[in-house]
Amino acid sequence: MSTGRYVSDLDRGDVLGPVEYTLSPFVVREYCHAVELHQEYFQGSIDQIAPPTMIHLEKLRLYRHACPAGTGPTARVHIEYDATFHEAVRVGETLRVQGKVSERYAKRGREYVQLDIELRAASDNRLLMTYRDTVILAYRPQQTGA
Amino acid sequence: MAETWQVGTQLRAPPRQMTRERMRWYIDTHATVEADDGRIHQGPPTIHDDDAYARSQGLPGIIADGMVSTNWIMGLLLDTFGQDFARKARLRTKYVKPIYENQSVVSCATVKQVERTPEGTNVYHLDVWCESDAKEVLTVGEATVYSGRRTGE
Repeated sequence: MSTGRYVSDLDRGDVLGPVEYTLSPFVVREYCHAVELHQEYFQGSIDQIAPPTMIHLEKLRLYRHACPAGTGPTARVHIEYDATFHEAVRVGETLRVQGKVSERYAKRGREYVQLDIELRAASDNRLLMTYRDTVILAYRPQQTGA
Repeated sequence: MAETWQVGTQLRAPPRQMTRERMRWYIDTHATVEADDGRIHQGPPTIHDDDAYARSQGLPGIIADGMVSTNWIMGLLLDTFGQDFARKARLRTKYVKPIYENQSVVSCATVKQVERTPEGTNVYHLDVWCESDAKEVLTVGEATVYSGRRTGE
């Protein structure tokens, strides 16, 4: 188990969470405002839903929970978003998020980490979204050899 | 009459400049969503909002978080297919080139396959991407949209 310290420590099989929280209208509006999604079903107050891209912030929520010391020695670079939206995520709903590191591997001098995340309704365990997030742990490739 | 999309239909959003502010707006959501207290918050310096920090990480300057281009692609699909796309769909995006400050970004999609379920839902499979004004591909991916709208109507 590599949780408990830095994100850069994470390794295959590590489980992050679960974490439960209630989705507020404020965070959905702020997120959508920032990324210029001005549709009323995101930024209004009636039947408000979250944009499926907000799942990316669930990764950060899990990192904070499982890796309280922070990022580690270098900045991560996000390289792939892969999400399946099973049903709308509604504002006001209590959500449960959990992640598992499915892969950690090296390619061309860079370390890659894949995190698989499930977002469910806490009330009845309905699966709302599945998400695979891929990052490299440092932009600058590691030196090889002496 | 419902709009229809056939194989080969191409969608293009108007160009947007990836300004410093657009990069920072996204990064500010991280601390703001974490705090969730009705106020805007900022986190520590990142490669997306601090040139000196970005250079210390081997970059020539700040780059956009890939999720900005993912959201711009999603905006194009929402504008086309409506909120069906936020309810049941799939979206994959891969960031093949960094997007630098003030680079022009065009979000694009092409319908590559259309299926009809027995229930009458149209399933659209699309290639999606972002390109620069020089047609350099910056982000690639694919999307699947389940839409109640029917082709040929």
